[in-house]
Order: sequence, then C-alpha cells, then structure tokens
Amino acid sequence: MAAEFTRGDPWRVATVAPTVALLAVLTVLPVFNLLALSFNSVAWSDGVARWSWNGLGHYAALPADTLFTSGLSNTLIFAVAAVSGQMILGFFLALLVSRTWRGRVLYRAIFLLPILVPGIVIGAIWKLMYNFDFGVINQMSGLLGFAPLDWLGQRSTALLAVIVVDIWHWTPFCFLLLLAGLESLPRDVYEAAHVDGAKWWQELRYVTLPLMLPTILVTLVFRLIVAFKVFDEVYLLTGGGPGMATEVLSFTIYRRFFTEDRMGYGSAISVLALFVIALLIVVALAAARRRREDA
Amino acid sequence: MTAKKKFSRRSVMAGGAALTAGAVTSWVRPASAQGRQAPITIVINQSPWFNGFSGAVDAYEKATGNKVTLDVNPFAGSLEKQRNSVRANQGQYDLLTMNGLFFVEFYQGGFITPVHDIDPGFKLDPQVATFDDTPFWDAQNKTVTSKTGKLMGVPINPNIPLLYYRTDLYQQKGLKVPTTWDELLANAKALHNPPTSYGMVQRGARETTGVTYDWFPYLWSHGGNLFRNEKEGDYSVVINSPAARNALDYYLRLAKEAGHPNTGGQTQGQVIQNLVTGKSAHAIMVIAAWAQMDDPTKSAVAGKIGFAVPPAAPGHMPAPPLGHFIGGIPRNVPKERQVAALAFLRWFQTYEAQVKLVEAGAPPVRYDVLASAMNQKPEYRWMKALGEGLKHSRQMWTVQEGAQLTAVFDVRLNQAVTGELTSTRALNMIAAEIHDIMQKGGYRTGRLPDLT
Repeated sequence: MAAEFTRGDPWRVATVAPTVALLAVLTVLPVFNLLALSFNSVAWSDGVARWSWNGLGHYAALPADTLFTSGLSNTLIFAVAAVSGQMILGFFLALLVSRTWRGRVLYRAIFLLPILVPGIVIGAIWKLMYNFDFGVINQMSGLLGFAPLDWLGQRSTALLAVIVVDIWHWTPFCFLLLLAGLESLPRDVYEAAHVDGAKWWQELRYVTLPLMLPTILVTLVFRLIVAFKVFDEVYLLTGGGPGMATEVLSFTIYRRFFTEDRMGYGSAISVLALFVIALLIVVALAAARRRREDA
Repeated sequence: MTAKKKFSRRSVMAGGAALTAGAVTSWVRPASAQGRQAPITIVINQSPWFNGFSGAVDAYEKATGNKVTLDVNPFAGSLEKQRNSVRANQGQYDLLTMNGLFFVEFYQGGFITPVHDIDPGFKLDPQVATFDDTPFWDAQNKTVTSKTGKLMGVPINPNIPLLYYRTDLYQQKGLKVPTTWDELLANAKALHNPPTSYGMVQRGARETTGVTYDWFPYLWSHGGNLFRNEKEGDYSVVINSPAARNALDYYLRLAKEAGHPNTGGQTQGQVIQNLVTGKSAHAIMVIAAWAQMDDPTKSAVAGKIGFAVPPAAPGHMPAPPLGHFIGGIPRNVPKERQVAALAFLRWFQTYEAQVKLVEAGAPPVRYDVLASAMNQKPEYRWMKALGEGLKHSRQMWTVQEGAQLTAVFDVRLNQAVTGELTSTRALNMIAAEIHDIMQKGGYRTGRLPDLT
C-alpha cells in the first residue's frame, strides 16, 4: 500500500516525510531508548552515568518481584471493574439525558462536573471523605448505626475505594461520548420499531445497543487504556497500600524507576506495560473490525 | 563581509563576557559579613521544619541583601528534583537539602563538590553537630568518616524523633515520663479512651520512609540492627534477629492495645493532626513538628505537649535515628553560585542565624543554642530533650542503595502493621530482599537463618 502511495510521485514522499520523521523522533525513538535501557543497568560515578549490559536479567527478575506481580493483577482488576462501572453508569445517564428535554442542559452540566475537577483536588476531596476520624462517609454511616470503617487503610476496602473514586471521576467521559453517539442515531429506525410495537427494553436490545456498538467500543478502548495507566488516584489516596492492596503498575514503575532510581529495571516494567496496552488496542481494534465485517 | 560578521559576533560576545564579569565581581564584592553574592536557588522539601528554614532565609536576605529562591516540594518530589538537577550539564539548584537517608547516593555519584574545593579556608563550626560524621565522605573507602573523609556539606536540620506526650494528662493521672517501652505502654493504656482519644498514635502507612523511620528507634533500643557492622564494612543482614522481632512485636502491640485503630493508614501528617487535635496522648515523631504543637491557630493542645528522649528496652540505650538534612553544593553549577551557596551556609551555621532559625520555628544544629538560656523558655522546652537525644542518635544506613532499602522496609512493615504479614514473616522477607540488594551492590554481606 505504501509503495502504491508513493509510486511515481516524489511530491507525496516529500510532503509526508517530515511527519514521519517527527513521529519517529517523538514516538519511536523514546520507545527504542526505553527498550535499550531495559537491557542495561545504570550507575552513577564522578557525575557520569555508566551503563552496564544486563541482557534479559531485568525481565527474568520480574516474576519474583511481588510489587510488580501485585501491581499487574491489581491494575487488571482496577481497569476491568472501574471501566465496567463507568460504561454502565455512563450509558444509562446518557440514555436518560437523551430522552429528557426539560433541564437537559443543566443535567449535562452536572453530570460533567467531576471530569472538570483536577486530579489533585479529587484526591483531596476523597481523602477527606474517606477519613476514618472525621470523614463524611463514616459520619453518615455512623448516623445509620454502622461502625466507622478504615476505607483506605484496610485491605478489604482500599482497592474498592479507589475504584469508586475512579468511577466518579471518569463516568462523565463515558457519558459524554455515549450521549454524542445516542444523539446521532437515526430517528427513523426508532419510529419503525415504535410502529412495530417494540417495548422500551426491546428497543434498547435490538435497536440502540447494536447501533451504538462502535461508539461503545471506542469509549471502552479509550477508558481501558487510561484506566490501565492509573497513577494519580493511587498516589494521592493510598500510596499503593495498605501493603500492596492498591499497588498498580504505574505506581510500581514510579517506585522502581524514580524513587529507587533503578532505571534499567523500571524500564523493563515500562516496556511490559507498553506491550499490554498495545495488546489491548490490537484486541479492541480486531473486535471492532470483526463486528464491522459481521454487520 | 564574513570577516566583518565574525568581528561583529566576537565583539558582542566580548561585550557580554565583560558585562557578565562585571556582574559577577559586583556579586562577590563584600557588602556585609558574607559579601554580595550571586542569587542562589535552594531545593527543599515541605517538611514540618520548612517554615523555620524559610524564616532563616528571609533573615539572611535581609542581613546581606543576597537573593535566595526556595524551590519547595513534597519529600519524594524533592529527591527527584535534586537528582535531575545534579545529573544535568548545568544544575538548576545551587544548594541541595539532602536527607540523611539519601545523601550517600549524591556523595558516591560524584555530584557534590567538597566544601574545601570551593573555599579551602572554610571551617565547620565546632558547635555544629556532625551527626555520626555524615557530612564527611571518604570516596576511596566509600564511607562517612571525619578521619579520612572530605567535608561535603553543612548540616542544616537536626531531625531526630522525640517522644511527644500530653503534660496536662500526665498531671491529671499522676504519670511519670517513661524511660522504658513497658512504661510507655502502661502510660498509653492509661490514657487510651477510643474513639474520643488514643493512648498512642504511630505511623504505619506505606509512604517513603514513613513507618520505616519511626520503627528504627524501637529496633535499636531493643538491641536489633540492620547490618552486623556497617562501619567495619560488614553488611551482613541481621534484621531477622530475635531482638528485631521483639521490637516489631512491641510496635504492633502498642498499636493494638493503646493505638489508633487505623495505624496502618497513619502518615506523618495524620499523626501530627491527631496530636494537635488532642486525640492522641503520645507520639514518637521528628522534633521538627514542635512548632505546630504550640501554634494556637493550629493546635488545641498549645503548651500542653512535653518532650522526652524515646524510651528503650531494659539494658539498652535510647536510639533515635537520624533524619537530618545536609546542605550540599553540586558540582555542576557555576563557581560564583557555589561561592554564593557556601556564603549562605557559612552564615547559616553561626549562632545568630541558628537563633533566628529557632525563632522562626525550626530546630537548630548547634549544641550551644540547644544548651543556651533559650531552653529555659516554655516555648523551647524541647531543646533539652533534643540535645540529649542527639547524643544517642544514629545513622540508619550509609549506602547509596538507601532508596531501595527504604522501599523494602516501607512495604513489609506496613504489611506487618496492617496484619497482612506476621512479624516473623515480615522480617524474614525484609532480610531476604535486602540481602539481595546488597549482593547485587557488591557488598560483603550475608544473612541470618530465617526466624521460625
């Protein structure tokens, strides 16, 4: 295809080349640098960095690194749970708003509010809300007769608490994309379904969902990628604790690469994270293509 | 044309150089005791002692007319910024505030200029505490020692943990200031009234050197240690010893019987918050937090906190770990800024500057200030305890892998505090992981058999 594109037309090559070069410098080069670093260890002496070849040593050490294995499994749990919650909530909110005429602008503004709040503020808000001694959640549950819970400090609730924050933060993103999708659906199909006597759930099952599938898939992929890279909420709320209950891959990379200053090892984890994200994208795109072909 | 162009460029450069030289000479021309100096930037972390340091910097600027910019960051963020600066071709920061746990990586990495390379006549004031010789670095033997090491910086903060206790509650209950851990447990239990107030609040959260730093006084004062003999180069890991287990078991027992129900989630900020809101009767915490205790706008217990050296197990000495900071001047900044940074340090170590530091809310590094008449004033009642504590203080480690060591401790101790690991398993895991780090670092090491 590339050959077809450039054949006999040097002008095309000349116009595309700067973009390709820019892409190579900004994207490919850093990734190759990361890859190269992942096969090396870096030590500093006399103010100079000295690289030493480590082969596959860093990669071989990964399975025994409990921080890494916990980070990987928690990230997968986090991404699946948070994105599922956001997609379901976002879809139903979008459905409600798309069928509401009075106060529609107000609802839309209210539902979008959390996505406008900076991450650091979200961390502060929820850290206060989850506070064991004076958090509003424990105060309210106390009024109902429940004992206070250490939401962020105990293993059984910490990851769930972070997932709830992420759902609160990112549901508006899903809502916005899905609402745009819903509003662009052809009305005549609904009218036909109505004439045929379809109930609301049949309309949802046989009209809305199939027509919305491409939008749902794109939203899902966007959210999965971002959820897989989660860092700020964990950093601000739990620091990966208690123990390793909320350790996520980005936080492991931060610890190993930055705090512990193990650049080679941190790069190996980063390369693996990059691979998993790329895999997610490939799988999602393949699913979308297959769906299109089936249609 | 070319020649003219060349001439023109040269003349511009020469003019620029002359202007720069003029500016530099005007900076270094004496205008006060420290002379007129180039503006400097200090990277510092937002610790409880920051306000005091900031006040001292204001006093320096006022006294000398020299300009100092403070780049303030969270603890971990400050370390990262310092690393980035010293590894660049030209550093952004002229003075680093290196924490006692991480300074070795800066020394060993060759990032810090020995003080006498900047000014051969500089003298560290004999009244300034030298904190287990940590301002001196012997690059040959990779060790801190004043005998063969070069002076690499000037201590700027004497952080060690002290016991904070409620004097009003002690009076009410007729309690005696504890000198042993058993006495502390008994006192804490006597004042434990959850959920209104807790006998003791300890750090247990997983944050950089949080629970790790706070547990070390318990470890050493129970007779435990991390390495067999670090000063002699024996880095055999002995953290999984029965004495260390006693120390960890005690830490957990104190939390369980008289502590906060959420010890595993307590950060330094939360420990301070529990104290100043009157919810905690005791805490063992860095002295840098003293100023917040007596600030009536922040504290409900102003004037009601007493200070003492942390207790010890019978037969052992108290052993507060050093969490001090050393001001170091990077290699990769221009000479005039190195000179300016050293001028600041020279002023900072004077008696007058240290008094200003205390008045602004930070503890001093000079013994004579700690022993001065200031310590008779109620607001400086912590000075005696600090002076006494410094006599027993110790350095946690002096290896450049400090950041890796603390990462291991932070996770495993937090897991022990939250009940995810038993003390035995946590210590065995710490021993195995640290032994691995030391082996990879090429140290003479080994480890004890696992605790059972």
